[in-house]
Amino acid sequence: MFAQQIVNAVMLGSVYAMVAVALTLSIGVLNFLNFSIPGLFMIGGMMVWALAHAGVPLPLAMAGALALAAAASLVVERFTWRWMRTASPFVPLVSSMAFLLLFEHLAIAYWGSDMRVMPDAFASANWRFAGLVIGVPQLVGLVCSVGLIGALSLLLKRTRFGRALRTIAEDSETALMLGVDINRVVAVVFVVAGLFAAFAGILFALNYRQVHPFMGEAVGLKAISAMIVGGMGNIWGSIVGGLIIGLTEVFAILYFGADFVDIAVFGLLLFILFVRPAGLLPGMQTARAGI
Amino acid sequence: MSPGAILELERVSKHFGGLSVVEDLTFAVRRGSRTALIGPNGAGKTTVFNLISGVFPVDTGSIRMDGADITRIPSRNRIRHGIARTFQNVRLMPHLSTLENVIVGQHSRSGGWRGVLHPVNLVPRNRWREEARAALADAGLADYARASVGGLPYGVQKRVEVVRALLAKPALLLLDEPAAGLNPAETETLQLYLEKLSVDGDLTLLVVEHDMHFVGALCRDVIVLSFGRKIAEGSPDAIRRDLHVQEVYLGRPAAGPVVPPAPDISEYGLAACRA
Amino acid sequence: MSGYLQAVLVLLAINVVFAYGAYLPLAAGQLNIGLAGFAAIGAYTSAYLSNQFALHPLIAILLGAILSGLVALAVAVPVLRTRGIYLALATFALGQIIRAAILNLEFIGGAAGYPVTGFVGLPMVLGLAFAVVVIVSLLFGTRFGIAVRAVQDDERVADLMGVEVRGFQIAAFTLGAMIAGIGGGLYAHQFGYIEAQYFNVGLSITIVLYVILGGIQTTMGPLIGATVFTLLPELLRESASWRYVAFAAGVIVLMAMRPQGLLTRGQLRQLFAWRHVHGSTHDDGLAGHVA
Repeated sequence: MFAQQIVNAVMLGSVYAMVAVALTLSIGVLNFLNFSIPGLFMIGGMMVWALAHAGVPLPLAMAGALALAAAASLVVERFTWRWMRTASPFVPLVSSMAFLLLFEHLAIAYWGSDMRVMPDAFASANWRFAGLVIGVPQLVGLVCSVGLIGALSLLLKRTRFGRALRTIAEDSETALMLGVDINRVVAVVFVVAGLFAAFAGILFALNYRQVHPFMGEAVGLKAISAMIVGGMGNIWGSIVGGLIIGLTEVFAILYFGADFVDIAVFGLLLFILFVRPAGLLPGMQTARAGI
Repeated sequence: MSPGAILELERVSKHFGGLSVVEDLTFAVRRGSRTALIGPNGAGKTTVFNLISGVFPVDTGSIRMDGADITRIPSRNRIRHGIARTFQNVRLMPHLSTLENVIVGQHSRSGGWRGVLHPVNLVPRNRWREEARAALADAGLADYARASVGGLPYGVQKRVEVVRALLAKPALLLLDEPAAGLNPAETETLQLYLEKLSVDGDLTLLVVEHDMHFVGALCRDVIVLSFGRKIAEGSPDAIRRDLHVQEVYLGRPAAGPVVPPAPDISEYGLAACRA
Repeated sequence: MSGYLQAVLVLLAINVVFAYGAYLPLAAGQLNIGLAGFAAIGAYTSAYLSNQFALHPLIAILLGAILSGLVALAVAVPVLRTRGIYLALATFALGQIIRAAILNLEFIGGAAGYPVTGFVGLPMVLGLAFAVVVIVSLLFGTRFGIAVRAVQDDERVADLMGVEVRGFQIAAFTLGAMIAGIGGGLYAHQFGYIEAQYFNVGLSITIVLYVILGGIQTTMGPLIGATVFTLLPELLRESASWRYVAFAAGVIVLMAMRPQGLLTRGQLRQLFAWRHVHGSTHDDGLAGHVA
């Protein structure tokens, strides 16, 4: 029973980790907290439902959802960063909040605010191992998450693109002088973050089968907790954080009931912010976290 | 505390990380004097100001102001001990009008919670507003009272900053490069204004400056720093003749102990003050 | 007066009150995206008091606001030790915790919501809103206003000028929470029913956005923002969701073109045709930062 909960926590944690990675990438490179990312999480989830519901085969539905999220990310990039960079530093944050609202209410306008259920594409395919039940989609999701995050980490460390990203994170003016094409790199960052968030949304939709326009707020925002706990600006921190939040959530439900989850998850966030805002793993220096 | 001194630093040291910025510094500022604190870039002058005004705590040593040991007193209370300052890069509040900026200077004298609720901006003629207006007029800035600070000429901004500090009615005014960026006419206006302040009021000036003409015209006492240490003090003439000072400024070799070089860390104080 | 017009005026009044709840901390450089949590405390407390003890709604609302203020005061000290984005996230966590806590309290309805028997008529709603606007405007005409705006512009220098930065930040945070509590209480005594789900992050973000829309440089800004937010969509006569879409899109576009918001000090000056002075009276954009 206990082990099963751990499995559940890991699965949930991988969803949070993906969104946390998206958030941490944005804040690490662009130095602002991109509130539209939970919205992109929701777009991934709801779009895959909408397409599947309309009869589109699942792989295509996933691709379509990801494509939409990528396009939306580019729009967000224009209006929060590219055209606003020179203005006050809190403009990107405010605009990203407006995008979250925009996506949420567009979803409500199109689909209504009710919860929707994903068609069961995997017919409860479960893998039984050592007395544990592991859903196949969950396992696939976990493997994909870890794989994608690992790939991203490699990209950042080994490739020229990754170096460009890290240069921009250090000092965007120096990066400009060094000939880095900031506009292109930043656009890629937005798209990658958006894709990670949307993929997490798709994973959530496939595994938990419930989607609704507020899932960005309900689920996506919890990833902020994961990001902070793990260490803002650190990709592996997001995984650690995701796992911790997943565990917190699962055990909160187990011992205190479902209504206690938010108190546990956000109580942990508040605690970390008071005690050790830098989080567990070293990421950006806290002094840089202006907005 | 020696009788004529209003400010005393004794064996003050400060380092950032492994970098020693101020080293075993001891000096006194004579009450009522106009004293200059000079030295090449990286000498630690702005850091000294930051230590006196409480932006950083000292690592070792003590600071005494008007007889009281203020070494441990937090920055927001130093102004109540009579220390007010201006900044190397002018730091006026961009969203307040000129008059409101200088009214901020009165805050430490405005008296507790009841003072906070004084309708400064509601009642057209009240004593705080009038006092602020008069101070601006004294500095020749009466016309700028309503203006937003962003549009003010640089020389005007610098003087507004001085007025703001003055409205705290300090005993000691720290001026960080007040003449920097001013043309000769503006520099002279500033010099005359500062002279008038120190003569009329009960005010001691401690000025960090690079403009040696300005220093020579305004100040009677000069303290020279190099790499965080005091290397000379005296009248402007004595300083000009001092061999060690010449070596430090002009690179001419002199007899005596050689001070080890350190990188330019004047930016430290600046960045921290901006933080 | 038609029922429709009455409803719009009530909504306007409540939004205006919420706006000033967000404005107080913003004026001191703080972003409170847990505002809805304090509104919820006001709503539930006042509802409980007027339900259980048959208190006059006005008294209940004021008591609810006081409780909001006390909670804010209790958390203000640790919360305001954090800075910048960490502060915003701490307020966010706080709002979520408050909401989750309310969901767990069965005696005030829990997840099912809480009916409210008391009712506050239009004159009293408008009167209370008007009182809030007047009191805040008067407050900002005192040295408090100058000190708070000095803190927003440059904390370090304000501190060196003897301004008790921490004290003013706590005061602004607490007053904002109290005003939000009044708004919550008004809301509760208008619609006969409140549920914790309403007081979510989306509400906090919406309020902050329309305050920023109106401009945070003057005390009339929040009034303008709330009015635009409430009335403009009424002219469009669309469904509630499309109104939010239009609002969010409007904020995004506005942040791109005019980040200082609709009303700035420069314009206020021109509006009242004060004596033009030797120096120019142009407004200087939003150079300050939200800390």
